[in-house]
Amino acid sequence: MCNDRIWILMTRKLSGEATSTELKELDMLLSPLQEYNNTVFTKIAGVWNETPAHDRDFMEATYLAHLERMKDKGVVISTDEPMLVEDAIDNKRLSKRWISLKMVAFAAIFIAFMAGAWFLLTAKPSFGKDTYTASAIKEIKTPKGVRTKIKLPDGSDVWLNAGSKLNYDKKFDGGIREVYLTGEAYFDVVHNAEKPFIIHTSKVNVKVLGTQFNVKAYDDDKTTETSLIKGSVEVFLKNDPSKKYLLRPNQKLVLSNESLVLPANLAVKEEASGIKFNPQGEITELSYLHDEKVDVESSWTRNILSFEDEQFSAVAKKMERWYDITIVFRNKRWEREYMSGSFEKENMEQALIALKYTTGFNYRSEGKRITIY
Amino acid sequence: MNVGSGLENDGTIRELQYQISMYEDQSAYKSLFFLLFPSLQNFAFSIVKSRVLAEEIASDMLLEVWVRRHKLTEIDNLKVYLFVSVKNAAVARLKQENRFSRFSIEDLQVEFVSEYGNPGQSTELHQLENIIAKAVKDLPPSCQLIYKLAKEDRLKYKEIAQILDLSVKTIDNQLAIALKKIAHAITSHSSKKSEQ
Repeated sequence: MCNDRIWILMTRKLSGEATSTELKELDMLLSPLQEYNNTVFTKIAGVWNETPAHDRDFMEATYLAHLERMKDKGVVISTDEPMLVEDAIDNKRLSKRWISLKMVAFAAIFIAFMAGAWFLLTAKPSFGKDTYTASAIKEIKTPKGVRTKIKLPDGSDVWLNAGSKLNYDKKFDGGIREVYLTGEAYFDVVHNAEKPFIIHTSKVNVKVLGTQFNVKAYDDDKTTETSLIKGSVEVFLKNDPSKKYLLRPNQKLVLSNESLVLPANLAVKEEASGIKFNPQGEITELSYLHDEKVDVESSWTRNILSFEDEQFSAVAKKMERWYDITIVFRNKRWEREYMSGSFEKENMEQALIALKYTTGFNYRSEGKRITIY
Repeated sequence: MNVGSGLENDGTIRELQYQISMYEDQSAYKSLFFLLFPSLQNFAFSIVKSRVLAEEIASDMLLEVWVRRHKLTEIDNLKVYLFVSVKNAAVARLKQENRFSRFSIEDLQVEFVSEYGNPGQSTELHQLENIIAKAVKDLPPSCQLIYKLAKEDRLKYKEIAQILDLSVKTIDNQLAIALKKIAHAITSHSSKKSEQ
């Protein structure tokens, strides 16, 4: 039976079940059979370690068929389509969704609680295990007029725009990669399907696997904007976790920070385009600068201050952060004036003069304070 | 493009389980589906011997995962749980089709994955795979199934024993038989070659 023992030990070794004593025993049994060992066993091991592969397209199709089956049985799980607001208001669906909404709400409270704990204890919500490690939080802050680039522990790059703040756990080794953002940042996230990357802002959470995108979430701005350059991202509303938006490349999601109050520029656009305005958010295509290579949203990472068809009030906010100045409107009429432009090498004075000629306002500067009239 | 399968990563499954349960994470659910569906469908097929039925059974069991997502973290070993559920559903289905038929571990039709991950693999390795596949086909069905669960689905001995209601010792012996046959096929092939 000594012969059979070899086979038992061999399979145990292949499947990773063998103990160290068993491995030693196997070596001893095999040593007189050196030649056999080298040919047959290595061949078997080679084939054993091959992992079966499934065609990704085939699997995607199988998954879709599975979702269809689920739908037939009354189990709806929304997929790639961003949830439409109409869906949520639909009365027929409301009752069905109620229980799951409650659970989502519960999850949201739980997340909010964890996030709160994160800030209060400066410790990280971890998976299952309560490993609170104090002062493991890294904070990067840029003053007005200063922009910076950071490399996260997972290799992802983050450009942090002026007047912004980014927090994350130094170790960055949890089940999910999490950062907390106030202000504006451009992310180039290293792909890792097993560790989603989540950006928490005051209004939304953005979830990605690996991709390039810009998040603009200044607390004093009227809107929170997510612009996708490459890949795909999901945006979750913090005050309504049942809603989520899925962005495709070259799309920009604009969400109003003041709930129920329409951002003025969007309201005007709605009239002009005739597109029904969604009070929660609007997805638009990204605009590109003249050379068609640099999009407006991420141009700041290349030291270009740009704006496309934006009201002076929003442009002024950008300029305040960019040049570290304060802009005051004496004449409120100019705040609503639309303007486009991009500045690369211009200083604050040159930029203001250029805008003055295209728009027609006057300005006066006293140190860092600019008055528009 | 191909995606790797094999269920070696237990930690991944646990994490997905948690994500689905706590955050209703749909992408985690999808990942879980990609990880488990092919293995579960193949396992169901070995019992019901119908592709359509097998797909239905595996799909139903994974549907339950979503329906009961809030209690998902209570399941200790989701992989084993799903294999056992698939087995029970498949056996029940068999009885439903023909009330005289009884499930026997010797009456199985085991299918192996024919596609392997490495497209640039050598013809030698490919040839070797064919020899092994042939040798495995000649094994008794229960032995084939245990070999498949260990090699392809990367299940642990204890897990296979749990799923099939067998002792770990039986798994040990059955796999030893399989390996011995495989080794024999390889040796006789290479000796035939050298005679030519």
